[in-house]
Amino acid sequence: MARRSGSPWKGSDIVFAKEFSDHLRSPRMLVLQWLILLTGIGAVFMSIQGLRTTTASDPFLFLRLFTDARESMPSFLSVLAFLIPLMAIGLGFDSINGEFNRRTMSRILAQPIYRDALLIGKFAGGLATLAIALVSLWLLIIGLGLYRLGVPPSGEEVARGFVFLFVALTYGGVWLSVAMLCSVVCRSPATSAMAALGAWLLLSLLWPLMGRFIAEIVYPANEVALLLGLPNPQQIGLQQTLARLSPATLFGEAVVGILQPATRTFGVVFASQVRGAVAGAPLSFMQSLLLIWPQVTGLVAGMIFVFSASYMSFQRQEVRA
Amino acid sequence: MTTYILDTMETRTTRILNLAKSAIILAVAALAFPVHAVDAKPNAGLWLTTDFPAMAVRAGETTTIKIKLQNTDLAPQRVMLTVSGVPQGWKATVLGGGVPVAAAMPATNESVALQLRVEVPANAQKGSQRVVLSAKGNDATAELPLDVIIGQSLPARLSIKSKLPSQRGSASTNFEYPITVLNESDKDALVKLAAQAPQGFQTSFTEGFGSQEISSIPIEAGQSKELKVKVQPSSGTAAGDYPLMVSASVEGAQSVTQMSIQITGAPKLRITTEDGRLSGEAEAGKATPLNIIIENTGAAPATAVTLSSSPPGDWKIEIEPNQIPVLAPGQKLPVQAIITPSGKAIAGDYMATLRANSGSESASAEFRLSVTTSTLWGMAGILVIIVALLLSVGAVARFGRR
Repeated sequence: MARRSGSPWKGSDIVFAKEFSDHLRSPRMLVLQWLILLTGIGAVFMSIQGLRTTTASDPFLFLRLFTDARESMPSFLSVLAFLIPLMAIGLGFDSINGEFNRRTMSRILAQPIYRDALLIGKFAGGLATLAIALVSLWLLIIGLGLYRLGVPPSGEEVARGFVFLFVALTYGGVWLSVAMLCSVVCRSPATSAMAALGAWLLLSLLWPLMGRFIAEIVYPANEVALLLGLPNPQQIGLQQTLARLSPATLFGEAVVGILQPATRTFGVVFASQVRGAVAGAPLSFMQSLLLIWPQVTGLVAGMIFVFSASYMSFQRQEVRA
Repeated sequence: MTTYILDTMETRTTRILNLAKSAIILAVAALAFPVHAVDAKPNAGLWLTTDFPAMAVRAGETTTIKIKLQNTDLAPQRVMLTVSGVPQGWKATVLGGGVPVAAAMPATNESVALQLRVEVPANAQKGSQRVVLSAKGNDATAELPLDVIIGQSLPARLSIKSKLPSQRGSASTNFEYPITVLNESDKDALVKLAAQAPQGFQTSFTEGFGSQEISSIPIEAGQSKELKVKVQPSSGTAAGDYPLMVSASVEGAQSVTQMSIQITGAPKLRITTEDGRLSGEAEAGKATPLNIIIENTGAAPATAVTLSSSPPGDWKIEIEPNQIPVLAPGQKLPVQAIITPSGKAIAGDYMATLRANSGSESASAEFRLSVTTSTLWGMAGILVIIVALLLSVGAVARFGRR
C-alpha cells in the first residue's frame, strides 16, 4: 500500500460546501429546524410571561429566559437537551453509509479527494448546519427577550450566553460524531439510526439510573448513614462520576453552571464547606467558567475522541465501486 | 309711704304719679351720696358716675375708666363731654361704643356707658393727677373728678432654680436638668428660654412632665413653672467638665443659672479598612493578607484590646498582632489578618466576622470574602483536549491520505 502525497485536507472545503448546502436544502433539516424552533420559542415565551409578572429584581434576568420553567412547559434548556441530540443524529446517521447505498462513494473518492477530507468535510458541514440552527435560535431568544422584557442584557449576560452557545454546539458535535461513527460502522442507514438513537436514549435516560445501581453495589449504604438518613458520600461521588460519562449530564451541568451564576458546585458539599458562605451570591464570570471547565473540556474531548474513532474505522474500511 | 302722704298734702294739683317717682329718686340720691349734682333741682339733672374715681396707673401705660352718664328727669338732650386738667404729655380720650366721642345723648331716665382712656407717658412723674370730665347739657352740667395715681410698679424679675445643677454621665447619656422658673414681677410674662452648651451638644426644653419641646412659656405673675433642660452631648465628646448656661428672659429682665455636665469618657472601637471596603478576595487553600484598621473613636483609651475572628468552617484567620495593650482615643492601628480559606472551599462569597474586645466595649465587622479556586484543573482539562487532538493527529498520520 503506497503512501499518497499531498495534504490530507485537500478537497475538504468542497465536501464541506456541498454537504452544508445539501443539509440546508434537505426537507429533513427543515423538519428538525421547525421542531426545535417552535418548541424552543414556546418555552422561552412562557418563561417571558412568567418573568413579566414576577417583578423581583435579578441582575441576571436575561439568563432566566433560558432556565425558567413554567407549569406544563419545560424550560428552554430541557427542550434543548432533548432536541439537540435528535437534530445531530438526524444530520449524521446516514452521512457515510448513505453514500455507499447511493453508490456514490467510489465516484467521490475517484475525484482528487482523500477519505480524510470527505469525513472532515461531512463533519464540519453537519456542525455548521447545527451552528446555524443554534445561533439563529439564540438570536431569536435574545431578540424576543429584548422586545418583551424591554431591558438590554448586560455584558456578563452576553458573555455567559456565548459560552452557553458554545457548550450547546459542542454537545451537538458529540452526538454528530456518534451518529457519524454509527454511519461508518453500520452499512444500513436504519441500523445506524437505531444504534445512534439507542446510544442517546441509553446515555440520557437509562445511564443515570444504572449509575445509581452500580454505585449502590460498589458502596453499600452503611448502617450509621442509614440510621441518620444520610446518603453515603462515597456512593454519591461514584454515582456522579458515572453519570458524567454521559454527555447529557455534562451538558446539563455546564449550562446550569454558566446560566445560573449562583451555582457554586455540582459535587457533594459538606456542612463545613457551606458554613459562612453567602447564599445566592453569584460567582464571577471567570469562576463560573472555571466551574464548568471540566464539563466543557469533557464534551470537547469526547467529540474529538469519537470523531477519531470513526476516522480510524472509516480509513480501515474497504471501498469498492 | 310717709313722703307720699306729705307730698300729696302739700301739692294737691300735681299728678300723683310724677311726684311719687321723683320723691323715690330723691330718697335714693340722698342715700347714695352723689359726687356732684350741679343741678338747681335736687331731683333732676345729669350724673356722671364711675366705680373707682381714683386709680393707680403705671407710667407708660394706658388705662381705661368706665363711666356712666345718667339723665334723671330731663328731656333728652345733647350733652357735650370735655376733659380738663390733663397734664402735659398725657392723652385723655372719651370713648363711646368703642370710638372717640365728643357728645352724648342720654334719654330721660336712661344712662349712656362711656369710657375714658388715659394714656400716661413713660416719663410721667410720680404722684396723683386730677383729671376732670365734665358733661354740659342744655339744662344741666355734671363733673367727675378722677384721680390718676402714678405709682412705682414692680420691675420685671425672673429667677431660675435648679434642683440638680451638676450631673455626670457618658457621652451617650441623655442628661435631664429639672429647673423651676419663677416670675417674680407683678405682670404675666411670656418667658423666653435659652441654653448655652458647648459646641455639638444638643439642648432642648420641655415642660416638667411634657414631651413637647418649647422655646418660651407663659408664666403668670408670682407663679412658677417646672421645666426640664435636656442635653445630648455629641458622641465623640472627650471626658471632662462642660458648662451649661440656662437663661430665662422677658423684656427687661433676665435670669441666668450655670450648671455643669461632667462627662466620663468611654472607649469605642471600630474595625475598618484603609478605604472602608469590607471585602476581599482569597484563593482556596492559599494564605491571603487582609489589611484592617482598628480605631478608637471613643473618649477614653481602650486597654487590652483582643482581636478575634469567627471564620467560615475549616478556614484559618490569623490576626497579627492579636493583642493591643493600649489604644488611645482617636488612634488608628493597622493590623494584618492572614486569611487561609479551606483547601476544599467552594468558589463564591463567604462572610467572616472579625471582633475587637476591650473590657465591656466590643466592635465587630463582617468581611465578605470572594473565594476563587485554582486554575490548575483548568489546565488539566486543556491537557485532556490536547491528548484527544494528538490521538486524532496520530490517527491521521497512521491512516491518512488513503
